Amino acid sequence: MERAAPPGSLRGSPLGRGWLFPAAFAAQVLCLGKAAFPKQAFTVSRSTAFRENPICAVGGTLLSCSRHYWSQPTHGIGRFRHLVPAQVAKKLRERLQMKEINHGTDYEYGDLNIEMTAYDMCLVEGYTRYVHKLCNNLSIRVTRSYALPTKTTEVMLVEEMGTKMHLDAILTTHRRVIQITSLSATFAPILLEILHRNQPEGVHLLVKEHTEADFKVRFKSRPELEELMAKLSG
Amino acid sequence: MAAPMPGLAVHCGFWRGGGGGGIMAAPTRASWRLLGALCLQRPPLLSAVLTPEEEEVAQLMQQWETERSRLSDHEVRYRDEQERLRHPRDNDDDLDRNRVVLVQDLEEIWEDKFQKTELAPRLTDADKSNDRTSLNRKLDSNLTLLVKQKVGDQEMWLLPQIEWQSGETLRSTAERALVSFLGNCIQAKFLGNAPCGLYKYKFPRAIRTENSVGAKVFFFKALLQSDHLSKEERKGDCIWVTKSEMEDYLKPEYLKQISRFVVDL
Repeated sequence: MERAAPPGSLRGSPLGRGWLFPAAFAAQVLCLGKAAFPKQAFTVSRSTAFRENPICAVGGTLLSCSRHYWSQPTHGIGRFRHLVPAQVAKKLRERLQMKEINHGTDYEYGDLNIEMTAYDMCLVEGYTRYVHKLCNNLSIRVTRSYALPTKTTEVMLVEEMGTKMHLDAILTTHRRVIQITSLSATFAPILLEILHRNQPEGVHLLVKEHTEADFKVRFKSRPELEELMAKLSG
Repeated sequence: MAAPMPGLAVHCGFWRGGGGGGIMAAPTRASWRLLGALCLQRPPLLSAVLTPEEEEVAQLMQQWETERSRLSDHEVRYRDEQERLRHPRDNDDDLDRNRVVLVQDLEEIWEDKFQKTELAPRLTDADKSNDRTSLNRKLDSNLTLLVKQKVGDQEMWLLPQIEWQSGETLRSTAERALVSFLGNCIQAKFLGNAPCGLYKYKFPRAIRTENSVGAKVFFFKALLQSDHLSKEERKGDCIWVTKSEMEDYLKPEYLKQISRFVVDL
């Protein structure tokens, strides 16, 4: 006897429906080929029986296939929104953290920027990685680690030996910044010394406090906005 | 006591007896005399020589990376020029080729320049003569300043120290010590307000009074910025030594305490 087998019978039905097809039955059903399914769709409906007793004997439910869509076992088969975590709306503008200095026996620095500049990208990135790992191991909180845009400098030498020659050299300056917070003043000299001793040649190290200007440098300039502002004020 | 962070358990041992309060507070115990001392270091000017294994690894990595890397602009240009030389096309102007500087010529010019430049030697004259008063010695390691000072009756070699006066911070004591031994024109960068080490000793019984049982010396670290020191400004005997050479000059107990914070990284 051919039995109707709604697709997805092996999976647990959605909440609220409460039918579970026994595995053995499902296995039997799966043996039928695909061609079997369309034929099953138009058998005698026994919807009345369902409304009275939705959780009824298995054999009974399978005999009739046309019932209301919300009681069909495939209802809600495409639902996935309930599984996706809710998306928090992204804040377009970040707010600066206020500097914190505790006066007293415990002195702490607020946001400090460790800036590393070099012409050689591998050196500066390797040093950045080292500093970041060092701070992690010493339990210093690293809030941000970012790169500033590369500046390209063209070095032109004009030699005047009869014919003018332009000797070009292209130098790229790479800058990497690591931002740390709550560095205690008693530990700061030790950290600075470690950074200084492990500085590779060619890398310039600068440790300074984070200011709003540093924050603004990272944004791209918007010429249209600036024009409009100038028009408004002027 | 201001205990900073768990990772610093090693360094907390430096400050026995309320060392953290030494920054701003007046002495609560009048029995110890306080002195501020300065550990002035000249950082290395050259990187250390690689050991044979490091040298091998560096060469291997260089070779491996060169083989795996893409061609640079210079190499691409060289390759194109070689192709053009091998198969000269008729549409190329002869004039054009004469004006363009070939990559080979450029490389020859660079090679000439390289041969003409002389690199300064690693071992300077001061190294050969072992002149410990000069800063030109041992360019690849740290040099610390040691001064000959009169302490009590004896003349000893130690890190420059000066007695603390009430009303000033210990760090300014260290700065005063710097100025008194090396003159005003020195540029030294202090790394922080906190001392890096402590040495306390008791006076011999003959000198001990009620007010001064002994002395506590707080050390501050500073890095030397200016390379050149003029000889006239130096007052007293100053030498610049590496950590291993310090054993010749310092007393063993003093050396033991100092070597805790003078690190040869």
